[in-house]
This record gives sequence, structure tokens and C-alpha cells, in this order.
Amino acid sequence: MTVSGSWVEAVVAAGAVPASHVPDASLGRSDVEEFTGADPVEAAELHTYPLGDAPPLAPGAVCFLDGIEQWRVVGYGGITPIVRAHAAAAIRRRGPDRRLHTVAEATEAVAITRLDSLPAPVRRALEAADVRVLEFPAEHSGPPARALAAARLEVQKVRATLERRLAERRLRALAPDEWLVVDGVLSDSTALSEHPRALGVVKSHGAHYFEGAELERALTLPDGHRSGVFRPRARGAGRDIYSWYVRLWPWEGNDLLYGLLRLEARAHPDTLALAAPIAAWVRSQRAPIATPDRRWDRLLYPIHDVETYLRARAPSDLTPHPASRIPYPGSRLPRAAS
Amino acid sequence: MIERRHLAPPIGRVVATEQKPATPHQFHFWTATETTIGIGAIVRVEGLGAGDSGRVVYGVVTDGFAYSDLATPLHDVVGAEGDPAKAAESPTVRQEIRLWTAAVLRQTPEEPLQPVPLGEVHVASDVDVAQALRMDAYLGGAQPTAIPVGLYTSGGLEAPVYVDADFLLGPEAAHLNISGVSGLATKTSAVEFLLASIFQHFPPHKGRVAAVCFNVKGPDLCFLDRPGPLQEEDRRRYERLGVEPAPFQRVRYYAPFKADGVNLNTLRTHPDLVGDVEPLVWGLREVLDYAEVLLNRDDIDAKADAFIDFLADRVVDKEFEDGFGGVHRVVTFADLERLFRSIFDGLELASRGGDSWRTHHIATMRKVRNRLANISTRCKGLVTDDGPSNDLPWGTFDDRTVYVVDVANVDPLGQDLVFARVVSQLRERLERRDLGVDAVVVFVDELNKYAPADGPETYVKKMLLDISERGRYLGLVLFGAEQFRSQVHRRVVGNAGTVVFGRMDADELATPGYQVLSPATKIKLATLPIGELMVRHPHFTQPIFVRFPRPAVLRGRDGVERYPPSADLPFEDAVARQLVKLDRRVRPNQVKDIIADRGEEDVRRALAHTRQARPRDVLAYFKKQLGGRVAAVPAAARESVAPLDPISDEPY
Repeated sequence: MTVSGSWVEAVVAAGAVPASHVPDASLGRSDVEEFTGADPVEAAELHTYPLGDAPPLAPGAVCFLDGIEQWRVVGYGGITPIVRAHAAAAIRRRGPDRRLHTVAEATEAVAITRLDSLPAPVRRALEAADVRVLEFPAEHSGPPARALAAARLEVQKVRATLERRLAERRLRALAPDEWLVVDGVLSDSTALSEHPRALGVVKSHGAHYFEGAELERALTLPDGHRSGVFRPRARGAGRDIYSWYVRLWPWEGNDLLYGLLRLEARAHPDTLALAAPIAAWVRSQRAPIATPDRRWDRLLYPIHDVETYLRARAPSDLTPHPASRIPYPGSRLPRAAS
Repeated sequence: MIERRHLAPPIGRVVATEQKPATPHQFHFWTATETTIGIGAIVRVEGLGAGDSGRVVYGVVTDGFAYSDLATPLHDVVGAEGDPAKAAESPTVRQEIRLWTAAVLRQTPEEPLQPVPLGEVHVASDVDVAQALRMDAYLGGAQPTAIPVGLYTSGGLEAPVYVDADFLLGPEAAHLNISGVSGLATKTSAVEFLLASIFQHFPPHKGRVAAVCFNVKGPDLCFLDRPGPLQEEDRRRYERLGVEPAPFQRVRYYAPFKADGVNLNTLRTHPDLVGDVEPLVWGLREVLDYAEVLLNRDDIDAKADAFIDFLADRVVDKEFEDGFGGVHRVVTFADLERLFRSIFDGLELASRGGDSWRTHHIATMRKVRNRLANISTRCKGLVTDDGPSNDLPWGTFDDRTVYVVDVANVDPLGQDLVFARVVSQLRERLERRDLGVDAVVVFVDELNKYAPADGPETYVKKMLLDISERGRYLGLVLFGAEQFRSQVHRRVVGNAGTVVFGRMDADELATPGYQVLSPATKIKLATLPIGELMVRHPHFTQPIFVRFPRPAVLRGRDGVERYPPSADLPFEDAVARQLVKLDRRVRPNQVKDIIADRGEEDVRRALAHTRQARPRDVLAYFKKQLGGRVAAVPAAARESVAPLDPISDEPY
């Protein structure tokens, strides 16, 4: 057990029943699945454009930002789960040497539960522990499935906060020919959504901006093409942003979303001029392939690299163990039992 | 030094997985992609974690791996769209790893022996190298026994590497074997440097040391007393090793004559140098003791052996009565031949026509006679029929002196004889402690020829085995060199305490004797640059790569260019030159006048006696040995009987 996990022993000693469970859903984050709509910017309706001879963007250096979240149910106070979570974010910069070097990094370890649902000794032990405790809403306490879903949202918030903080700090340090590429949307941050050299790369397509023929055009975008620039209608934080699709690999024979990325940049006329160079540049990032990640058709290798970096530095006890979950004798953790 | 250790940043970190765990004898570590570490590098691991604090492990890198996060080569093809040129243009370089495998050289504390801690890896310093190779045991103390063998170099560090004289020259272990391909392994150069190092660092408390080098090919060892060109890098290495870059101060050259008996059979015949070369001439006594060397396996039967023993014990150098009325004193081959003739004539004239003499059958005697006669024919120049011998200075060997015996152009039979006799003499003298020195290094090149792994059990092979197994107690140390170690007798190479490898042939490395080496070490051995060697020594738990400076002596090839051998002199001139060498007052013309019209055998005999006696007045002595000139007397006309008068004119 690592030092950061020492509070777990305290709550177990206070009466919490030890647990060791990594919910499957904790391995990734979900996207909003809803129709929000979009307004065309580049043309009256969504068109596709071949990248063809478009000269790719040629930044002097690029910073790539990504984050991870890992969590595990470490105990139960009654039926209320006590979750130990780790979130981390990092920025790795690629310069002329084409190698990635870490320039910023942040991590946070938290405990997530519903304090007023815990037995008093366990609650006191947790409050006295050297760990930030986050509480999911009271309406989600009760059945573990709902509680765990709520805990997961809390973890995602921690990660998103770390990412945003790192990104905004980095924006201030960006050189004139340096870009910041974020894995995900820009619209969560005012600074990001307004910066001329910030680019969001979205590989999940839960949100739908088009219907009918425009949707078909967007989702059947041929390889080496981009869509016209559009303005997603407000969702979430509701900040103004320009967006467009680009296809990295031919989807025929695979799936509609295969190799499809949605890019986000600031809502500014200059972005229209840069849409093609940026799309061409993103497409040039296909190599090296980000295998063995299953999302390699949409995952840029530098983003994959940041994620690998963060996972390599994450606490090893928060990843799902490949071994079977045969119960310990007496249902006690070995160390606690001793 | 401790401060220095802590200031130096680590260059790697030990990693261990279930598949590749750290053990007490091996560990793995990774470094940055750009690193000075390579195969053969020595590293230091410091344990920092609980239970490992204070534990220091030294290791030598034996293998290296590099790989990226590429799942399968096909993904690289896909990413580059099938175009190799595009693969190099990818905007991001994949994550790579440099993973190294190291073999443990030493752990401190040595007990309890535990797996290598998963700590920081540092480049070894001078002090670390000494610790890692356990050289601290013989570098210091009241009587250090360290002999520099080369420089360990890695990542800008150069640390001297020493071998222990007690384990190189006895008595704890002894002998050195060096192998490698011809021309690139620099075997001879390595031995020359090591001999210079031994001469300068042989501990005084161990006594006096000399070397006997058999020059078996070309001019390899003919110019050990001549300075060779050195580069600044070599001089720096000499300084770092504490060895003075100078040719050998005392070298004695020995070479047999050519068949003419007056011109030396060596490439060191340039007029400026030939004066240093002593002729190596042996007579019957020297040869008879080693007759076994010269007789092939079919010859060696109990009868022939008994007869040879009889000759050696009862006949040679003694007044001997042949049983037919003749008294002989057999000293030379010519005397022996006269004895044989007398015996054979006596047996033929004996009334009963007997076929035995002193229990020895006439066929046995004829066989021995033929073989011995054959020796003086095949080894003409080395073996004299009737002159005195001229030999190495047995009993008066000088300290720190190299004795070069040049047998490069001698018949293989003669080479065997020289080798057997010289080494046997060394052994006998060292046993009696009357050689003049306490230890002798015998350098034999082409060891696979003298002690082959296969083939008959020759006298020379048996002798080499004997030296290998027992020489260390006597101070008789064998430095053997060969191209293919696998072709040398296992017990000869197996008894070599110190083993050195130069560039090796890949086929040779595939033989079972090299299975203990990692594939990477084998590759390094197969591509080893000139001047770099891999050394195994009893104190080193793993082989170590070292660089040595070019020897400060003139290389054989350069020597013959700078001092081209002179052409063979006519008989008279060659005799004159040898006498002038003995006495500078001798005028060549005087010599020529004296030997004019004299038989060459007589002249050779007189010259040999003069050389042996080294008189004050050389010319007079030579003249006396030659004897008076016997004037030719014309044969008197034979008186003939006049024919009888014819009785008649009748023709019938």
C-alpha cells in the first residue's frame, strides 16, 4: 500500500468494510449523448472539402495536454462506497527534435463518498485523514450503482479541473509559434476557447450537431477531407467555439466514426483561414500509429504518449488487477488483519 | 570520493519484472537513449530502499536491447503508408527504451548475497573499477603485485586495469593465452606490451624475471630493442598505465645458421643489427637428449629407445671400446658415424656373421643411425656434424631480459627440437633454481601447431601440457597465442589463468567454448578494433574489455623496411664478418687469405671453436684451429712391369 493510501487503513480500522473493486466504467470517460445543433460558419450548409494541396500548419513546437483518472472502491460504510481516486494531467512538448518532453504536470488524490451516510467512527476517521474528501450529491446515496456513477462524475471533475488549470497556465507561456493541443473540448475554459493557438481534438462523437443530409455528410466524410467550419450551439459552459471534422483514415470497410476527429478552435475569422492547414496538420499526425490503444484510428500518438506517461506514474494499486477476486479469508485486507 | 559519487547524476535505473527479475548475478537497467553506456561498460548500483541502503553492486554490461512502443512492425508500415521514406518523416519520434543487461562483478557487502537492489545506476569511476574487479586486493598493501594490462574505457572514463602477478606468473595461477584472428587481433603487440609492463612492474619481492620468445613467423619479434613510432594517444595511455614507453633495454637474439653454416637464418641480418644475433648451434649431445622429439611415432619402439639410451648413457662423451678393437670418443655426429661404421664393419667381418651387437639388433641400430643422420641433414645450420655447440646462456639468465629464439625459417622438425630443448632446459634449471632468474615467461605463437586439440601425442605437446599444469610452481609461465582457441588442447588453454581475446572469427565464436558469452559480447569480440582486448583473469568475475597502447618497439614489418635484411654473403665474407664481430682488429682480407683453398667443413669447425673460446687474438686462434696447410703432393708415377717379349710373331 502506498503512502497516499494510508488513510484507507484508518477508515478500515474505524469500522469500514474493506473492499477492492475497480468498476469497469472507471476506465474511460463518457461523452454527452444529445443533439445540440450547430450554425454553419464557412458556408450556408455543411460541405466537405478535400485537403488536397492545403499546406499543413507548421508550428515551431506543439504542446499536447491530456489527463487520466483512476479510482477504486476501497471500503464501504454500510452500503455507502468509499472511493479512492487519482487524477493527473500533463503537458508534453514536442520541439524540433520530434521528441516529447514533459513541461507541466499535476496530480491529485481524493476520497469520494457521502459523509453523512457513513457510520460516525468511519466518518470521523475520514475527516481526520490527510486527504481531500469530495461528496457526491445526497440524492445519489443509496443503491451502489447510482453512488458509483456519481462518484465517477466527481472524479471526472477533478481531472477536468487539473487539465484546465494546466492548460491555462501553459497558454501564458506559449511561444509565438507554439500551439497547445488538448485532448477534448476547448469550450470548458474561457482562456482556451479564446486563445489563437489552442486546438481541441475530440475523438468521441456523443454530441450530434447535424441532422439529415448534413449529418450524413459529416459522418461519411471521405479520407483526406474536412468538413466546413461550424459553430456548435451552446452546451455545457456554453462558450463560443468553431469546430470542423477531419477524417484521418478511410472509414469504408470499418465504421462511420473510424478515423473521424472533430476539431475545436477559437471562434474567430482567422480560424476559417486556418481550418484547412490545421486539418492537414492533424492528418499528418497519423504516424506514428498510437497502437496498441484500441482507439488508435482517432488517437494522436502524442496524446497517447501523454496518457502512457501519466499511467506509468500513477499508483499501481488503482489499476484493475488481472487476478481473480477470490475473497481473502475473513474478508479482511491482509495488512488490516495483522 | 563519496561526495563525488553523490554529485554524479545517475545514468540509469535498475528495473525488474517477473519475466526479467534482478538476481544476485544479473540485473537489468534502462538509460536515456543518448548514453555513453555500451557492451563491456562497468556500472555501479546503489541500493537506496529499505534493506538495500548501503548495498553497492558493480556490474558489467553484457547485453543491450532497444525497442519502441510499436505493437507490431505492420503498424509502422501502415503509419508510413508503405513508404519507408515517410516513416522517417513522422512528426513524433516513438518512445524508445535502451534496456541493458549487466552481470554482477561484485557486491558489497558480499554477505548475505542478495538480488541486486532496484536502485540508481552510475557510471563507474576509477575507484569503482578497482573495487568491481577486486583489484584492491593486490593494488595496495605492503607488497603490491599489480601489473597494468590495459585501460578500461567507457563514457570518457579511462581506468587502468591491473592483473595480479601472483595469478599471472605464479604461484597461485599462471599462464596467459591470447587468441584472435591474424592481423587484427594484435596478439603479438599485446604480448609485447604486457612483457614491457611485467618487466617494469614485476614486484621486487618476487625476484628476477626474464622472457624467452620463440619467433616462429617472419620478423615479428626481431626488433624488440628498436623504438617504434608512437602516437600521442599511445603516450597518454602509457602515462595513465604507469609504463614507460621504451623498447626493451636488454634483448638477446639467437638464430641458427643457414645450411651453409655461416649465414644466420634470420631476418635480422641488416649490418647494423646482425652483430647482436648469436648463432644457435647444437651438437650431438644436445640433440640426443631430445631424440624423442625428432623421431616420429612409428620410430618410437622399445628397442630404438633402448639403443638411444645406450648411446646417451654409455657412448657419448666417453671413451668407448666397440668390441672390434676400436676405441671411440663420440662427441659429434661425425664421431658417431665413425662408430656406426666400425660396428657395422665389425659385424660383417665377424666369422659367424652375427646380427646383434651388445644385444642391439643391427636393424634397430641402422634405423637409429638413419634417423640421427637425417636430423643433421634436415636441421643443417642448427645441428652441426662436428663442431662445438653455441647455446642460450643457461645459468646466467639476466633479469628483465628478453631472449628471442628465431626459428621462423627453420624446418618444422628443427622448430620442435629447439622448442623442446629450450623449454626443457628452462624447466630443469628452474627446478634447480640455477637459471639466473626466478621466473621465465615463454612466449609461443601458433600454439595450435605445438599443442593441437587433435592429433598425436607429441613430445612437444606433452611438454606444453606439463608446463601448463605444473609450471606455475616453478615460475615457468607460458604465454601462448593462437588464431583459434578451440584448436588448442583443452588442458593447455584451460590452465591459463589469464585469457585474452582480440578480434575473433565468427565461426570460432560459434564453438562451444564461447557459450558462456552473451550474443552481444560475441558481436563485440567479432568487431573488436585494433588495440582493444577482452581479458579474463581469476580476480575478475566477468571478462573485461581493455585498450592497450601500441608497443614501444619496432613492429616486424616496419623493422624489415627500416633495416632490410642483407643478402647472404659468400662463404669467405661471412666467415670474415663473424671473426670481425669477435675482434674488430681482424681484416677481412687476412681471413680470406687464410681460408683460401681450405675445406668449408674445416673452416666452419675452426670458426665454431673460435666463437666458443672467444680468445684475445681471434685471428691467431682461428688459424691455429684451422691447422697447417697440407701441400698437395702429386702422386708418384707407378712403376709398371714391362710386357713380356712375344714368343713368336704368331698372333694366336
